[in-house]
Amino acid sequence: MTPAMTEFVDNLRAAPRRILETAFRGGAPKTDRTRSTFIFGNVFLHLHSVRVHRWTLRWSTTMGLGIASTAAFLITLVTGVLLMFYYKPYPDVAYQSIKDIHFVVPTGRFMRNIHRWAANVMVVCVLLHMARAFYTASYRKPREFNWLVGMGLLSITLGLSFTGYLLPWDQLAYWAITIGANIAQSPREITDALEITEWFDPGGFQRALLLGSEIVGEEALIRFYLLHVMVLPLALVFLMTIHFWRIRKDGGLARPDDADQQLQAPGGDVYPVFTQAPEKTYQLAAIVRGRTPAVGRGPENTVPAMPHLFYAELGVLMFTLLICVALSLVSDAPLKELANPSVPENPAKAPWYFLGLQELVAFSAFTGGIGVPSIVLLGLGLIPYLDRESTGTGRWFGGPGGWPLVRRALLVGFGAALAIEALVIRFGWIREWFPSVGQLVVTAINPGTLLTLIYGAYSVWLVKRYNSARAGALGLFTCFLCGFLVLTIIGTYFRGPNWVFYWSPGQWPKH
Amino acid sequence: MNKNKLLLLGSSLGVLVLFATAAVQENFLRGWRRVQAAGRTDAGAIPVQLRQVVNQSLRTADRCTTCHVTMGPGEEAVTGGPLFKKHPPVTHDPAVYGCTVCHGGQGAATDKEDAHGDVHFWPEPMIPVKMSEAGCGTCHAAPGIPARAELRAAQAVFERLDCRACHRVDGRGGTIRPDGGGMEGPDLTGIAVKGWDAAWHDKHVAKAAQSASGPWKTSFAPVSADDQATVTRFLQTRYGASRLTEAKSTFFSYGCLGCHRVSGVGGDEGPDLTRAGQKDPGQVDFTHVPEGHGLTNWVAEHFRAPGAVVAGSKMPPASAPEADIEQLTLFVLSLRRRELPGAYMPKDRIEVARMGRREFAADGATIYGAFCSGCHGLDGLGRVTGDEVFPSIAHPEFQKLATDKFLTETIAKGRPGRRMPGWNKEGGLRPEEIAAVVAHLRTMAGVPARTQEDTWMAAAEPMTGDPLYAASCAGCHGHKGQGGKGPALANRALLEAASDGFLRDTITKGRPGSVMPAFGEPSTIHRTLTPSDVESIVAYLRSWQGR
Repeated sequence: MTPAMTEFVDNLRAAPRRILETAFRGGAPKTDRTRSTFIFGNVFLHLHSVRVHRWTLRWSTTMGLGIASTAAFLITLVTGVLLMFYYKPYPDVAYQSIKDIHFVVPTGRFMRNIHRWAANVMVVCVLLHMARAFYTASYRKPREFNWLVGMGLLSITLGLSFTGYLLPWDQLAYWAITIGANIAQSPREITDALEITEWFDPGGFQRALLLGSEIVGEEALIRFYLLHVMVLPLALVFLMTIHFWRIRKDGGLARPDDADQQLQAPGGDVYPVFTQAPEKTYQLAAIVRGRTPAVGRGPENTVPAMPHLFYAELGVLMFTLLICVALSLVSDAPLKELANPSVPENPAKAPWYFLGLQELVAFSAFTGGIGVPSIVLLGLGLIPYLDRESTGTGRWFGGPGGWPLVRRALLVGFGAALAIEALVIRFGWIREWFPSVGQLVVTAINPGTLLTLIYGAYSVWLVKRYNSARAGALGLFTCFLCGFLVLTIIGTYFRGPNWVFYWSPGQWPKH
Repeated sequence: MNKNKLLLLGSSLGVLVLFATAAVQENFLRGWRRVQAAGRTDAGAIPVQLRQVVNQSLRTADRCTTCHVTMGPGEEAVTGGPLFKKHPPVTHDPAVYGCTVCHGGQGAATDKEDAHGDVHFWPEPMIPVKMSEAGCGTCHAAPGIPARAELRAAQAVFERLDCRACHRVDGRGGTIRPDGGGMEGPDLTGIAVKGWDAAWHDKHVAKAAQSASGPWKTSFAPVSADDQATVTRFLQTRYGASRLTEAKSTFFSYGCLGCHRVSGVGGDEGPDLTRAGQKDPGQVDFTHVPEGHGLTNWVAEHFRAPGAVVAGSKMPPASAPEADIEQLTLFVLSLRRRELPGAYMPKDRIEVARMGRREFAADGATIYGAFCSGCHGLDGLGRVTGDEVFPSIAHPEFQKLATDKFLTETIAKGRPGRRMPGWNKEGGLRPEEIAAVVAHLRTMAGVPARTQEDTWMAAAEPMTGDPLYAASCAGCHGHKGQGGKGPALANRALLEAASDGFLRDTITKGRPGSVMPAFGEPSTIHRTLTPSDVESIVAYLRSWQGR
């Protein structure tokens, strides 16, 4: 063989090894150093910090909720792409294609179930994740902006879920979207009352923007489809990237000042803590904030993200998948009759996480669908900029008042919500008492605004009582959580045809 | 930190187990796979795979043949399970038309409950097998069906002439005889669709004359012109769905069209029934249906006790034997529709929908049965339901009084203020149909039509009738003729239709079959009116006409 030939054969033999070598720069991740290179040399992994504080890995710190949300998103992404192979976004045909996915497509039913359950798991996890971040006061400096990004992610998550609701084109979907469209149109409640709709009609514009037509039809379907499979997922990935990146840039997860003291020495199973002594001081490398590493423990009590954080992340991911798959085997995703504009669903219910709002919408579409949510979002967004304190960061229910305050706030929150709902269910509301009252009055004074006022007043009182914005925030957030729960549960389980209260669906009037 | 590793390990194993479970479920445990696994042909086991009948034009993709394999194209020979039965011979090959077009159900489904459609959220479950012919109504209109008595009469003639000796109709007759022969004549099933030779009788006669022996010689003799016409009428009802035809004739004997519209024809008192067989069981209240769910039970029970099943229903309970209720149910189930491409639109449906052909036969008895008998009774002697009294219109006394003009106008314009609607309306009766009903009323009463127009005029001074009216009539008909227990007399439609002679005779002779007494006859409970009294009252009644 000629030398060139020999070389060719050698190169051919070496090709697999070299492909691996070139794919993962810096060699096999076997030492702390190469693991670090592995992480920051990888476009995906470098969103992680190279080392992670041991506080972060405690289950009680995050309960894995953020990762679970991400995992649920990845699951919906994969199953969603698979569903797209068969789904046809056109009225009636869409319904038929879902039937085909359900009955004929190999594993189609399973994939659709997983998609549906993962979407619900995602909504739950995102909400709980937000609650976790709030109760551990993790939104504080320097993480304020990440809290805002998180709120964006929450909105997009709900948007994704809601746009997915229309796609099967069944009765459930059709009438839920009709409600959604009416909520979008609800500013007309105000403009009609002021008699300016003719000149200024944001409600009509919003509705037209949402539906692309006067009715819920093919335009609305293709719009929701595009939002669901492209616009919103891209926006979500975009914000997620920032969200993760900011965790690293903001110095990892929030932890209490005395986290190092609270943590015992790493157990024997923590390996590797460090497999080699630092070659240079981190003061110079400045990979993370902080000072020179202490002798006898890892830099700032950290362990390498690889493998410790990866085990945790993959563990949560697989656990989330396990939950989704288990639920999918037990319960099929719903599919009602083909959408029929002439047979209204009664009651037509939005997805469960919007039923709390729908409960308020029953009194005023504007207040319930736009007013109260806007106030809540605004309030949530302002939290990190109003609470500039530092006590209790990184600790559950940290801050003045602490758990006892939250406990009392739970009482107030549940109490107020239940009391108002009981009043409304037993005695009706302004419309029933004074049928001739103007729309503006009902928009301004209804259970939604009343509840918001009570919660707001309570939290202002807390601010004064504890002389702390954090105390007020703890009270307000807890109250809103209670309100959300009460309204959602009533909307889900106790509302029947014409949104009348019933103790159980068995009492619903027959047609 | 091992916690995280254990979480990863445990979850991963769990997911693996669940995936395996799902895979087993999907690939081995599905019902249809087990059904097909037992399938055999001469060549061995059949491939286990999804099977479907697709008809692009009808927009069906029916996967019923995934379990009912033998009903799919080219798979008649498969054996090995109770489901592998051949489809009974039908005009529409299931391997072409699919299944759901006729039977309903969910064609896309591959699980039994879902496919048969007895599940939540499927609006069109399968039609029960004993009601299968209801499926024909999806596309076919089957026009020209007579009321049941007429159908039975025609059938009796057909049997009497023993046409079934040689001809097979609806699966009966024309059997092979022990000595050879039989099945000499063509099968007449569905002959109303296929059409027949109008000169059949002459040809039969000629054929019989030529034959020296055999069934032609022994079995055929010329039949009378009347019988020929009756046989022809019978053949016109042979659409190949004899049970549905029978059910339809029953429907046309209970006067349902008097209150309900079907395909645009009928009354407006009750709901339109055009799609009543397609009611979504999910939208139906089964609380008062004892025999459980299913639209069939609901419809049947609703005939027995309309008010209980549908709150507020004013429909009178059908005093009908169970067999009739079953037939009425079958017919109601057949009231269904489907979007059909032009090529699939059957001729009979086009005739009914576009060319104004009637689904009921044109004879007066059938029209009376279909439209009038619900209130006036099949015998025409009226009906009392609850506190409502429907007049006896076939009573000879009444028929003797009423002129054709009076009857025709009453039917055409109705009686405003009473339940009797005017039938001269969109979706009502045509003039010739009203004339047929009038003629039928005459037949029922056995009274010939009044040929002589009534020219008698009440010449009395109207006001002399006032006190007489107040004393004898106002108790039932109201002081101002506004009606009460008896019909309103200050009623322009009535006064225009009724001649003076009719009014006079009605007062004098009464209305047998109703509470209206004969005032011309001596009685212990009312005063007797002399002819001049009656004349005064008629004149008084006339005075209301001007208003």
